[in-house]
Amino acid sequence: MNMTGQGLGIGIGLAALGVGLGLGLIGYSALQGMARQPEAIGKLQTVMLIALAFVELVFLLTVFIVPGSMGAFNR
Amino acid sequence: MSDQKQSSGLPAWVMYILGPLFMVGGFWVSVNVTHGNIKSLEEQGIPLDPGKTLAVIGVFLILFKVIESFYIMPLRDAIGTRNSDLESTFSEAENLRTQMADLKTDYERRLAATEADAREKIQAQIKEAQELRKTLMGEASAKADELVKRAQDEIAQERDRALAGIRLHVANLTLQATEKILSENMDNDRNRKLIDEFLDKVEVPTA
Amino acid sequence: MSGLLQTGLTLLASAEESHGEGGHHGTSFIGLFVYLGLTLLVLFVLLQSAKMGFKDRVFTRKTTSWFEQVYLFVEGMCVNIIGPHGRKYTPFIITFWLVIFVSNAVGLFMASTPTADLGFNLGMALISIGYVQWEGIGTNGVFGHFKHFAGPKLGLAMIPITLMIFVIEIISEAIKNVSLSLRLFGNIEGGHLAVEAMNKLGEPFYIPIGFFLLPIKVLTVVVQALIFTLLTCVYISLVTHHEEEHHDEHALEPTHA
Repeated sequence: MNMTGQGLGIGIGLAALGVGLGLGLIGYSALQGMARQPEAIGKLQTVMLIALAFVELVFLLTVFIVPGSMGAFNR
Repeated sequence: MSDQKQSSGLPAWVMYILGPLFMVGGFWVSVNVTHGNIKSLEEQGIPLDPGKTLAVIGVFLILFKVIESFYIMPLRDAIGTRNSDLESTFSEAENLRTQMADLKTDYERRLAATEADAREKIQAQIKEAQELRKTLMGEASAKADELVKRAQDEIAQERDRALAGIRLHVANLTLQATEKILSENMDNDRNRKLIDEFLDKVEVPTA
Repeated sequence: MSGLLQTGLTLLASAEESHGEGGHHGTSFIGLFVYLGLTLLVLFVLLQSAKMGFKDRVFTRKTTSWFEQVYLFVEGMCVNIIGPHGRKYTPFIITFWLVIFVSNAVGLFMASTPTADLGFNLGMALISIGYVQWEGIGTNGVFGHFKHFAGPKLGLAMIPITLMIFVIEIISEAIKNVSLSLRLFGNIEGGHLAVEAMNKLGEPFYIPIGFFLLPIKVLTVVVQALIFTLLTCVYISLVTHHEEEHHDEHALEPTHA
């Protein structure tokens, strides 16, 4: 494994860390909101899913774009 | 619901024509068109084929209309008819229920009326019976009193008659005795005194 | 048995790989349509089976009640998010829901699946966003629709900012396509890659570790179908809500990543 591979692994790991934190925060706040207002569960779930989707997309963009750009830099 | 049945968009026949066109075009693009950017995207791990995209658009154009007209509309109709069916059934049941309730209240009312009637009748009968008993008892006691009175009268009469009879008899006896005594010694002073005494003695109880 | 099937289909997929040198993922045009045909076959068999139960007074047939549940769920989603006029978008949304769901479910058992192909997902995203534009133009008129991109009214002095907002909104509109397609592609293809990687991990011990990812993949199947349709609903609601509440809306508008 060369340096590029190691950097790739670390970068993706960092991205996963950040996204994991973001997902956790969303879940945390959504759960809190649901516990406080059980009658609003439907709306909260919808908004939570949308937020989850946007956070998840960041990681996917990282995963798909970083390797390509690394390759481009190495070229 | 009925006014919004058809989703807005192109009419169906346009979709049915455009769909295959897009599919064929997509196939043509997939086979013939290669662009540098697509190659570099693929090197980045993003395999994108614009031909597939075009073809998929065509497939979906057809799919929307097919699913909408063959499955969603019948489902909507089925749900609608089922709902109206259930509603009518429910309203029928509700009607029956109200009818039943009416009948029940009617029945209860009649039952209560009958009960009250019966109770009244029983009370009247009891009262009548009591009155009857009272009058009967009165009559009976009156009759008994009368009987007692009559008996007492009879007894008194009998006693009077007996007394009269006895007095007569005693008088007769006395007369006979007197005759006998008279025939023997009428002049005897002592005898006269005896008779008087005897008669006094006999007459005492009648007083 | 299913393992054997999977190997066979993996061979099929690798045989049809695009242009021979395309790496480990991506089926060819014909390969995509083989899998799409399979997906649609499953979908239409289920739908036809559901349709046979429509005549019953009460939906006792399993597939019919499932279909009804899905329909009511999607309709509820449309009405909740788009508003009372959202019911007419139900057929549009439910088609996406059904195709993505069945395709994802097929992907649980097959080597490849339509939603694991970026071209397919981009096609769906283009239709979704294109329909959103169509609806926006239909509701607000061409000029009104494009005025929506320019953001709130800022006065003459702020014309450069309005222009910038306009450009950014146009870009975000284009990015919506990418985000919709890439999310679905990344989740499904990422699931496949994760299973493959974990299987490779367990190869020395002959344990298919990837198999234990199945619960997460099942969750992904539903959630991705839900998110795609949910976001489409949100986008539609953003362009068709204007009549009632023009002012509240821009504050609520989510940032398009």
